[in-house]
Amino acid sequence: MSTSVLVPEASAPARAEGGGGRRVIIRTVGLKKIYVKKGVRTEALCGLDVEVYSGEFISVMGPSGSGKSTFFNMIGALDSPTVGRVFIDEVDVAQLTAEELAYLRCQKIGYIFQSYNLIQYMTALENVTTPMAFGGVPPDEARRRGMDILGIVGLADRWFHRPIEMSGGQQQRVAIARSLANEPAILLCDEPTANLDIDTGQEILDILRRLNIEKHVTVICATHDHRMMNICDRLMWIRDGQIERVARRDEVKVRVGRIGGQTSGAAGAGERKA
Amino acid sequence: MLGRVDVKAIVIGEQPRLGFLRTLRITVDGIRYRLFRALVTVAVIAVAVAFLMNILSEGIIKRAVAANTRERIALNREVHRWSARLTTPTDRDTLLALLATAEDGDPLLEDARQFGGLTPGELAALRTAAAEARVYGETIERMNYAYRRRILRGATGAAAFDTLASPDGWSVFIDGVREITGVRLPFPASDLEAFAATWPAVREKLVRIRAGQADAIATLRAMRRERPIMEALADADGAFGEAIRAAGFHLDASQAPHLAAQAQREIDLRFVERSIDLRTPRQTVARAYDILPGDVTLPRLWRYLADRTNAARYLDALAEEDARPDHFSVARLQELSAFRREAALLERAERRTADMGEGWMGLGARMGWLLLVSMLVCGIGIANAMLMAVTERFREIATLKCLGSLDGFILLMFVMESCILGLIGGLAGGLIGALIGTGRMLVAFGAVAVPALSLGALTQGFLASLIVGIILAALAAVYPSFRAARLAPMEAMRVE
Repeated sequence: MSTSVLVPEASAPARAEGGGGRRVIIRTVGLKKIYVKKGVRTEALCGLDVEVYSGEFISVMGPSGSGKSTFFNMIGALDSPTVGRVFIDEVDVAQLTAEELAYLRCQKIGYIFQSYNLIQYMTALENVTTPMAFGGVPPDEARRRGMDILGIVGLADRWFHRPIEMSGGQQQRVAIARSLANEPAILLCDEPTANLDIDTGQEILDILRRLNIEKHVTVICATHDHRMMNICDRLMWIRDGQIERVARRDEVKVRVGRIGGQTSGAAGAGERKA
Repeated sequence: MLGRVDVKAIVIGEQPRLGFLRTLRITVDGIRYRLFRALVTVAVIAVAVAFLMNILSEGIIKRAVAANTRERIALNREVHRWSARLTTPTDRDTLLALLATAEDGDPLLEDARQFGGLTPGELAALRTAAAEARVYGETIERMNYAYRRRILRGATGAAAFDTLASPDGWSVFIDGVREITGVRLPFPASDLEAFAATWPAVREKLVRIRAGQADAIATLRAMRRERPIMEALADADGAFGEAIRAAGFHLDASQAPHLAAQAQREIDLRFVERSIDLRTPRQTVARAYDILPGDVTLPRLWRYLADRTNAARYLDALAEEDARPDHFSVARLQELSAFRREAALLERAERRTADMGEGWMGLGARMGWLLLVSMLVCGIGIANAMLMAVTERFREIATLKCLGSLDGFILLMFVMESCILGLIGGLAGGLIGALIGTGRMLVAFGAVAVPALSLGALTQGFLASLIVGIILAALAAVYPSFRAARLAPMEAMRVE
């Protein structure tokens, strides 16, 4: 529908030294991931050094097969790197035991997937309360909190529906609610809007932004969606397993093409800034 | 945004375990969502368990039927045993077997002691010798006939011992054993030699017992004059019973009326079976079945007499031929018919249980092997079903791990699921197997099987097959779910 062309004005280093003494919440050192399947070696990531500050909204962009998802899995402690290290709040993920990893995934990180990955046999509310149950929240409190969170994403009146009875946008909103269940410090989104239409995608983005601003959640978003640039603090481009460029949003100018008089996501929408 | 201070700190803590009941709830929800697949798995388990339970229940019932039948047939034949005892002296081999196997207090032992004029000590020694003779006798009997002919002149039992005790019998025997490689003694040859040396004394006692019994039989024969023994026994609770006791046979007073009734029944049965050769009765029965008089068989006759009006008609037919005994009534005929038909059932049951397997719950080696193979096949079937179920749920497993579930939770969830499926399948299969087994046995044995239906033993078999079903299902689920639980979340998601 819309075409947008990115015109970079200046490059910022991957390690954004302009952080002004802010805490680094995720740091990767020489991150490499090599898949070997049936003798074929695929280098998905070739040495990434990235720092993410707490409270930041960062977009990771890049074409398909660039290693976005792999990178995303590494920093989310969902997969182990071949070489290199991931520090989450200065804790080396590789040093954690299985129980500690479970705790980290449960309490500190929320995940949102392109394909929602809801548990099919659970209602919306049960999907949201399951991570709380894993975290040891008593059932009654979990239900109360789950309803609150469903209210945030605007699905309080559909709590009893199963995923199969909901639209894609609603499912993704349930997934967001689920990722917020234990009030995580980090929200990892792997192409959250890829399967959604423009309006629904915009709703999801709004929710993410609101969470970032109101709850101070660090959001890392792998995406193709250029509207993301309106709301993120920093952008990171990955290509062929390497960081192509990192830029703050105000360093990026976007020229937006027009189709039929409709403007899609204008850059630099100042009113979104906190 | 730059000045934000209240950022969330990350402290790694300990992940709590999810309670058993909540895991159960999640598992049950999952099963209900995939009901069809669960039902297929349940069906596989049910078939396996039904097969096991079927074989177990048939074994249980068959074994009980065999025990009941043997007991009742022995009871019905009591009078035949007595008629044999009172007419023919017991031969040496039967006497040896009796002495070796009879339990203490058996009246037959007491008879033997009196006829032989033995002291209790002598009787005990004789019983020990008989037990020994039984062991040797079995070995001799199992020998190849050609060898036995060469080394024992072909004799078995008491005659074989006679041969061994004869002047050059032992040397011929032992030379033969040494020479022929096919003959092996499972006991030291010296034991047998020692026994052969004592044999003449044992034989002398056996002969004495036999002679004593022959004397008693002669006395009784004089008593009953020309009366057949059965007719005499019909008076077992009267004068003839006294005579039996006087002659030295041990007849319990409480047993006598029973014996007399049995003897009378035997006489009556034989009378009815012979009466069918008379013209009018035979035609009566033939007319009822609309068959030629020549086709009237005994089973048909007894079936005909089961009915009240038929029995009355038959009595009239007998009266017409002037052959109706005074004590015959419609009720008596019906009673005889019922007895005869039940005896036929018992005989059939005895024949059909002749191949009863030994061992646990009546399982023979052949059945055990068959069961093992079928369990193996079903185990693999269940393992396959569980493997598929786990593999197609890798995405779900990965998601659950992203949400912070422990490996143990996922393992528990799948094992629990398969246990529930195993339980349902086991219950259904056990019930089906028990019903089929019981039904088949009822068809095979008829009324004889009814008293053999023991709820206790069947429940035991049911529980056993239920447990087998659950264990089979749980074992089949452990490996795939263990593998899935150990994977990193994204690895699990990649495996599609």
